[in-house]
Amino acid sequence: MRTYFSRAAFFEGARDSVPMLIGVTPFGIVCGVGAVAAGASTLAALAMSMIMFSGAAQIVATQLLVAGAPFAVVVLSCLVVSLRLLMYSAAMAPYLRPLDHRWRSLLAFVLTDQAFAGTLQRFRDSDDVRANASYFLGGGAMLWMIWQVATLVGVLAGQLIPTSWHLEFVVPLCFIAVLVPLLHDRVSVLVFAVSATAVIALDAMPLRLSMICGGLLGIAAGVIGEKIMPPNE
Amino acid sequence: MSRELTIWLLVFVVGVITYTTRVSFIALFARRSMPPLLAKALKHVPAAMLTAIVIPAVAFSAPGVLQLPPSNTKLVAALVAAGVAWWRQNTMLTMAVGMAALWLLQYLVG
Repeated sequence: MRTYFSRAAFFEGARDSVPMLIGVTPFGIVCGVGAVAAGASTLAALAMSMIMFSGAAQIVATQLLVAGAPFAVVVLSCLVVSLRLLMYSAAMAPYLRPLDHRWRSLLAFVLTDQAFAGTLQRFRDSDDVRANASYFLGGGAMLWMIWQVATLVGVLAGQLIPTSWHLEFVVPLCFIAVLVPLLHDRVSVLVFAVSATAVIALDAMPLRLSMICGGLLGIAAGVIGEKIMPPNE
Repeated sequence: MSRELTIWLLVFVVGVITYTTRVSFIALFARRSMPPLLAKALKHVPAAMLTAIVIPAVAFSAPGVLQLPPSNTKLVAALVAAGVAWWRQNTMLTMAVGMAALWLLQYLVG
């Protein structure tokens, strides 16, 4: 286990995750509020955040429970909103390949939207597997801990935060900050345009399937675009 | 089944699902190599998925209701934030300016 651990990179990852931590905090609070609304005890609400560790799945699960959906429907919906994690897993796979089984299993547990968005660039830029793995673990561990704290705040004091503050808006803002710098060539702009159009056009799909379908269409456009457009910049 | 028991069951069933999706391809491609087409497609995952997450969060005022500027204050604030992200590539600054823009617009629109 220690062979891949770099203390310096771990703390660097933890420090660099601070903007992401601020980004997930309101989301975690919303998850805590949602769990209470669905009838969860404080312990069960925390268990959701500790074990599911997925804001999208937790929100969907609690909303469907409140709506009185059958158990199987709740599970299926959580599966659908988790499908994007398959793509993150595939995108991370080549970089985690040199690690041992235990490191891969551990890093997979902290693979979230934010950890993926925040660290993929580093994996692309650097070949130092040991430092990259520790960097990812540092950020992932911070995200996991903050997720629990935010959930607890939501369970205990969520009602005190006025909805007019729209704190949940930091979630898309945080992703915008990562997305915009990615759009520096024509193919990436094409991916953006196709994903954006598709996700709006397909919004009527059930179970928020529009998100995964929009993303897949954007990826397909990127693959085709790279073939037919000459590389520039 | 009591609600509390249902939730505990969900925690473990969905916990297995989220972990399985996370570990899936990491485990699958630990020992074998990735098909070249898949490797090419994966390059576009960040831009495609971040777009698919962000756009619905800023373009819809309610589920299924597409709302355009200037009445959609979230979309205007998101565009301001995108400008800051392009200019400075600083996540904290982007979030701060985006939130400030949203609050200001909501104050102005009333």
